[in-house]
Amino acid sequence: MQAHFRARWRLYALTSGFALLWCVAIGRLFYVQAVKGGQYASKAATQQSRKFEIPAQRGLVYLQESNGLYPVALNTEVYNLAIDPKFVKDEQKTSSSLSEIINIPAQELKNKLSTKSRYVEINKAVSADKADQIQKLALPGVILQKRASRFYPEGPLFAQILGYVNDDGKGQYGFEQYSDDQLAGNTGQYNTVTDALGIPINSAENRLIEPKNGKNYALTLDRGLQTVAADALKTAIETNKAESGSIIVMEPSTGAIKAMVNYPTYDSNDFRSVKDYALFSNRSVSGLFEPGSGFKAITMAAGLDTGKVTPETKYNDTGEVVVSGKTIRNAENHKFGIQNMTDVVQKSLNTGMVFVLEQLGTNPKLITLASKQVLRDYIEKFGFGKVTGIEQAGEVSSKIKPANTYDIDYANMSFGQGISVNSIQLLAAIGAVANKGTLVKPTIVAGEVNNDQELIPNKPVEVRSVVSPTAAAQTTQMMTQVVEKGSGYLTRMKGYKIAGKTGTAQVPRADGKGYEDNKNIGSFVGFAPADDPKFVMLVRIDYPKVDGFAEKTAVPAFATVAKELFRYYQVPPSGN
Amino acid sequence: MTAATASMRRNQNITRNKLAFQTGPISVGVMLLGLVILLSLLYLNQITKTSVFNYKISNLQNKQSTLETEKQKLQIEAARVQSLAQTKANAINGGLVKTDTVSFVTAR
Repeated sequence: MQAHFRARWRLYALTSGFALLWCVAIGRLFYVQAVKGGQYASKAATQQSRKFEIPAQRGLVYLQESNGLYPVALNTEVYNLAIDPKFVKDEQKTSSSLSEIINIPAQELKNKLSTKSRYVEINKAVSADKADQIQKLALPGVILQKRASRFYPEGPLFAQILGYVNDDGKGQYGFEQYSDDQLAGNTGQYNTVTDALGIPINSAENRLIEPKNGKNYALTLDRGLQTVAADALKTAIETNKAESGSIIVMEPSTGAIKAMVNYPTYDSNDFRSVKDYALFSNRSVSGLFEPGSGFKAITMAAGLDTGKVTPETKYNDTGEVVVSGKTIRNAENHKFGIQNMTDVVQKSLNTGMVFVLEQLGTNPKLITLASKQVLRDYIEKFGFGKVTGIEQAGEVSSKIKPANTYDIDYANMSFGQGISVNSIQLLAAIGAVANKGTLVKPTIVAGEVNNDQELIPNKPVEVRSVVSPTAAAQTTQMMTQVVEKGSGYLTRMKGYKIAGKTGTAQVPRADGKGYEDNKNIGSFVGFAPADDPKFVMLVRIDYPKVDGFAEKTAVPAFATVAKELFRYYQVPPSGN
Repeated sequence: MTAATASMRRNQNITRNKLAFQTGPISVGVMLLGLVILLSLLYLNQITKTSVFNYKISNLQNKQSTLETEKQKLQIEAARVQSLAQTKANAINGGLVKTDTVSFVTAR
């Protein structure tokens, strides 16, 4: 009986033991599956799957030409060349062999090889052909990594407008930066199950997200005109021993920029060698300057549009006018006596501009808050104080001083001093005068190019009507007198009526205390033919070191480019 | 007696032999094994076909990639040849000169 009891007890104990073990096992399973399931699943997924990024093709940038589209920004492949010195067996052979291919002195390479680093970068942009030669040498320790890059067939010609793509594939400056998101597209992904060695295997779980290539664009710029403008600018800079300059050409009715050049510039293909980073900026949109007398056309257009002055309105030019206790004089202390408004623009009279400002308000003999407010409103309507929105990275704008600021500030502003603008703002504003009083948004993008190489054109954007067509026509007429009888005489061309305005602006000192003594910015902004404008152009020459105003520094370059533009637009001389 | 009963009585000596087809556990096992092998072969065949197609696709993708690279190279070469610097050099080499005057002719 006792033996039987013992046997049963052992059986119970054994059963309980097994039951306990089962419970532990089940508990552990529950813990692994239910509690930590997610964590282990993701761990397993990491070990058993891989994600491959599929790069998207960056969009191309074209120009429209008579025989189709011409690319100005293309994709290519280059190689990062690096060395792991630990694996280099023969330093002499490695450095001399590489030296022959990539044109770096052998000694320089040898020095780099003697460092302790495991990754010595030699060249970030080795061409495919050279990479092929290097690969054939089978040098131990030499690393070649392929990556996408850009090629710009016209090199420096469009450098500051296009910008460049850096080694991380990011657009920098110009159009490349402005439209980086659209040009870059979306990277694709291939999520695949892998074997124990990490090699992808076919599986129903594999997922492919196709990359979305970047958009292609066509620009409004013209290669021929760009070259003409670049050559004219270079000549003007050299002739005037100037530091820098810009030329922009725009179609006033559409806002399409046909040429935009700055000097000095750089080569987008060789951006790594640029030491002065200021060269990367497109100064036509990022460089603020005081426009000087070129701005008089704006003040006069405001006066004419309000009806407070007409081309025949007269005033007595005594050569100077006192505002808030400060004396404003005409350039070179000229005084002409009784003058009408056309004379004011033609002879570029500062006193006449103050007269117009006075007329804008409630008391025609004083600068009042009302007159300042009216001028301010017109300045804003012409597009100053706000970026134009041209498709360029880094466009800047200054703020327009409020109307309750000092009278002297507004008196100065009326003839283009104490107000900062960028070149494209001034060009667009004068473009509004040329375009019967309607401001159009300047643009460098003609449209998107689809995969069939067809252009989907953008429509011109009319911003607003700034002045009446009558006021615009009167301002135009005054500006033609500048060319016919005034400071723009060097651009006079037989059979062509050109409207324009010169400006020689002083350069504010960096400390804000007045102006630099021997520095000026000469500009000429104008359009032609005056009665049916095909183009509006701005020439700006910074800090010329020769004597003379803008009529000597900027106008000749305008004339050179205008001559080519008449051919380009096939405008025959009128015979008048 | 009905006609049917009479008919039954007439044929009462007739016997019908049932076909003796019995499957034992071994036969079932063999048949199952055969079925498994057949299905496995079919599966392997499909997998092989898929692999072959994958290989072909992979080859085509490689070719596509190579062709795209070639296309890129050709585009670059074409752009380089058409660049203004190159065109200018060709014009100079060809003895072409720039015209200074342009005359406009009136259409009649």
